[in-house]
Amino acid sequence: MSNSEILHVVTTIIQEVLELPDLNVTVNTSAADVDEWDSMTHIQLIAAIESKYKVRFALGELQALKNVGDMIELIQKKLNK
Amino acid sequence: MLFNSYSFIFAFLPLALIGYFTLNHLKQVSLAKTWLIAASLYFYTFYSFNNLPILAMSLLMNYFIGHSLHSELKWISKQNLFRFGLVFNIGLLSFFKYSGFLLPLGLSFFTLQQVAFLIDSYEGLAEEKSFLDYAVFVCFFPTLISGPIVHYQLLMPQIASKDNKRFNLDLFSTGIFVFCMGLVKKVLISEAFASWAKPGFDEATSLDLLAAWKTSLSYLFQLYYDFSGYTDMAIGIGYMFNVKLPQNFNSPFRSKSIIEFWSRWHMTLSQFINTYLFTPIVRAMPKITFKSTMFATFTAMFIAGIWHGAGMTFVVYGALHGFALVVNHMWKKRKKKLPPFMAWFLTFNFINITFVVFRAKDLVGAIKVLKGMFGFTGVVVPKVIVKSVGPLKDFGFKMGTYLQPTDYALIFMLFGAFYLIFKAKSSLELEKEFKPETKVAVACGLAFVFCFFGMNRITEFIYFNF
Repeated sequence: MSNSEILHVVTTIIQEVLELPDLNVTVNTSAADVDEWDSMTHIQLIAAIESKYKVRFALGELQALKNVGDMIELIQKKLNK
Repeated sequence: MLFNSYSFIFAFLPLALIGYFTLNHLKQVSLAKTWLIAASLYFYTFYSFNNLPILAMSLLMNYFIGHSLHSELKWISKQNLFRFGLVFNIGLLSFFKYSGFLLPLGLSFFTLQQVAFLIDSYEGLAEEKSFLDYAVFVCFFPTLISGPIVHYQLLMPQIASKDNKRFNLDLFSTGIFVFCMGLVKKVLISEAFASWAKPGFDEATSLDLLAAWKTSLSYLFQLYYDFSGYTDMAIGIGYMFNVKLPQNFNSPFRSKSIIEFWSRWHMTLSQFINTYLFTPIVRAMPKITFKSTMFATFTAMFIAGIWHGAGMTFVVYGALHGFALVVNHMWKKRKKKLPPFMAWFLTFNFINITFVVFRAKDLVGAIKVLKGMFGFTGVVVPKVIVKSVGPLKDFGFKMGTYLQPTDYALIFMLFGAFYLIFKAKSSLELEKEFKPETKVAVACGLAFVFCFFGMNRITEFIYFNF
């Protein structure tokens, strides 16, 4: 799966979880840029991504995520395992 | 040993750096690491050797468990070994925190750092084969006693990197700059506020409105400049060793909500709590709902509160912040925003009030200060003000004494502190803009000279107690 495909899916998930249908998401978007993106919605996002791609992230991996780009890379890594 | 002492600045730190880079220069990599560990242990045991056995036990046990998690074991399953490791760490920490024994220096911090390592090892993210490297990770003296809490995966690649084994003048000067900022925060700002906070909390039997606010605001600034000063110094020393440590504060008092505050205050602890406590609690629930995440939020914050110590004050502090986070999330769900000033005002005062609980020796002491802050013990107006605004006495105000020079100093410092918080650049912003120019060197030198004279009455850092 290409990074842009993943970005497309992740964007939809983020828009749904944060309840912001018009949010513009790029690889550089991070939690700090979006007020609605806090610890609570973050865990919902992670859970939604995990169930969508049938992967499970390690706790330590979650802390290292700085932006959407990191998230896509992590998904890619899990899918290629 | 304290960062803000003559022996640290003039003897220990230079020797530690010279030894480390000389041995690395001579390609004695293992010796350089051994030197760093020896220096760290000297730093740790400078005042007393009593804590050394606890540090050694924790280090050896966690190394053994972490190492075993990556080998084939017949006598125990990996899951059980991992569970044993968690119980060992939490047990050790709880025993010293809550049994009334003296808390070994740094235990709260090096335990959390190793718990993160164990979890990461168990989940296959971290692996350590060399005991020497593991000992560097745990004992590294800039972070050993009060953080910032640093991950194995963040620290060790930096120590291992070939480029970082050479003395780097750019990073060294950045380090001196950041260290100086921390020194100013601790020696010039925090110590001054400490002298105004202490009498109100520890000596007075009752406080009137102005005295209570003077006490609580002084403590708020004392704590912030103490801990963020300590962190700046740790980060500065990290740079001198070519290591970039994680940020721990990001102008927390500019926060406009409690959720935001916890993403800016003691950040490495918040991140630890969020990653290794909040997330597993949520995952352990059958379904992620608003209620279940709120339960996890409250529980995680509550545990973060009592991590600070055994007193009822920490129970109340944790519960208040846990409750405030839940209320904050509920409010956020309604998607109505408070005006920015209002949001800041509520947040700042909530923090100030809960810090009173955090600081007081017991709940009675906290109530004493809070009663004063809410005006239950009357208002004593200084004579200068009464004269200029007329007969306030008729409205039940008591007449105080004339303002003393220390009162003027306090007023000046409070204005200064608020200015620093809102208008001035944070140490992080200053660090990013740092260039080794003459004027910066002069400023650092002057700041250092001022601090030099303030350091003859060296005091401990508040977070050494947690």
